[in-house]
Amino acid sequence: MEPLLEVKNLTKVFEGRKQEEFAAVNQVSFSLYPHETLGIVGESGSGKSTVVKAITRLIDVSEGELLLHGQDITHVKGKKLREAYRRFQMVFQSAAGSFDPRRTLGDGIGESLRNSGISRKETKERVKELLMQCGLPKEYADRYPHEVSGGQCQRAAIARALAIRPEILICDEATSALDVTVQKQIIQLLKNLQKTYGMSYLFICHDLALVQLFCDRVLVMQEGRIVEEGTPNEIIMHPQTDYTKQLVEAVL
Amino acid sequence: MRNRTKRKLILFGALVAILLLAAIFAQVISPYDPNLQNYEIALQPPSFAHPFGTDRYGRDMLSRVIAGAQTSIFSTLLLVAVISVFGTLIGVACGYLGGLFDGVVMRISDICLAFPGLVFALAIAAVLNGGIQNAVLALAAISWPKYARLARSQTLSMKNADYMMAARLSGNTPLKMIVRHILPNITGPVLVTAMLDIGTMMMEIAALSFLGLGAKPPTAEWGSMMSGGRSMLQTYPWVVLTPGVAIFISVVLFNLLGDTIRDYLDPRSTHGK
Repeated sequence: MEPLLEVKNLTKVFEGRKQEEFAAVNQVSFSLYPHETLGIVGESGSGKSTVVKAITRLIDVSEGELLLHGQDITHVKGKKLREAYRRFQMVFQSAAGSFDPRRTLGDGIGESLRNSGISRKETKERVKELLMQCGLPKEYADRYPHEVSGGQCQRAAIARALAIRPEILICDEATSALDVTVQKQIIQLLKNLQKTYGMSYLFICHDLALVQLFCDRVLVMQEGRIVEEGTPNEIIMHPQTDYTKQLVEAVL
Repeated sequence: MRNRTKRKLILFGALVAILLLAAIFAQVISPYDPNLQNYEIALQPPSFAHPFGTDRYGRDMLSRVIAGAQTSIFSTLLLVAVISVFGTLIGVACGYLGGLFDGVVMRISDICLAFPGLVFALAIAAVLNGGIQNAVLALAAISWPKYARLARSQTLSMKNADYMMAARLSGNTPLKMIVRHILPNITGPVLVTAMLDIGTMMMEIAALSFLGLGAKPPTAEWGSMMSGGRSMLQTYPWVVLTPGVAIFISVVLFNLLGDTIRDYLDPRSTHGK
């Protein structure tokens, strides 16, 4: 099967003081296939978030290639990059922080639609539909991010990511800041949406239990490298590296 | 705390509003024509007919101070509006685009900041040949960096916030990012700086006029009125003191209003929301 997204030898080097270099992501390669949920686990500082920021081109890539449908997007800019953004979207860890504090949730959700030339009136309708799909009353379109709870805000963030019907949805610790019951609801919502739209998920998480529940395939990252890859059960039942064992034991 | 700030805001806001109204309706409320000369009543001390006295051409000082309010206040507001808008746009562009553009523009602003402002403005005003518009232009040319720096640092600090990244993912062009997300989020600090700057700018315009590079006679302007009566400070003090006190009062009022607005908008002061 043709992969949706191919990441080849992705490397991100940060320059510290005194010219010392630090590779937050080192020679990472993987592919994401249609309708698949791929998890990336690892402790804090293992480079998970840097991987997604590099994939979404929110930070520049030092080395390697990113292929979206076989098209190189590693260094595209301007209009071409904005076209690529129509194919993948992202849900951030801090939901409230990912909405402009001076704009309503509806504004944020409808922004990508407005930018792709859809009329104000139609955008309004679509925003209402999206909110209801994500389990929020449609009146929330007029609320500001600080006026809703963390879970509600994350639902709105998912609605925003869904607005332009992306093929890939990247969730960067999208449930980590939420309490356990809300976490479950959000995961359920994400599962239902995948059924409806057939999206692929790239699910960044440090919680192995959640990954087992949700992902088809898992990558384990340590110090910027992928140290293990497999189905969640393989990894949890038969971890190959000490590091993965430690991660598994930490959950139990 | 909030109530006190609110009361202060209303009080100073009202006083500044009176000042502005006086400036707007200067022609209506002045008792005499500010430029009407009458040598028979030259240099009269304050009286019922002429509460602020008359100057050496027999012009009514009260009418001239009111007419001067129009020139001084409106040119100050124009100046502050120009530099805050222009400086902010430059700063935001620098912060957002970075690179060579940022480097070049910031070095230019460094040069402006390294020069004693009034000296630089004097040079420009002299080259441009006086007149109140040119004084405004000269001061604008050296005063924008303050706003550019402020806007640039604000832009840099929010550029990597999650909501900015989310907005980029929503397909916003750099221009839309600036207009929709950056500008609305930095208007607060810029507005406060601008309010606090009104007093300073009013004094600088008056200073340029005092030195003969601002308003040209017979235009009534506080700085040039003081300059005109300079030699008579000991003999006929009202000719100098009335415009001087007018400058003093309006600068103090604008500064107090600016301070209060800053307190009011400061999120750290203890008030809800």
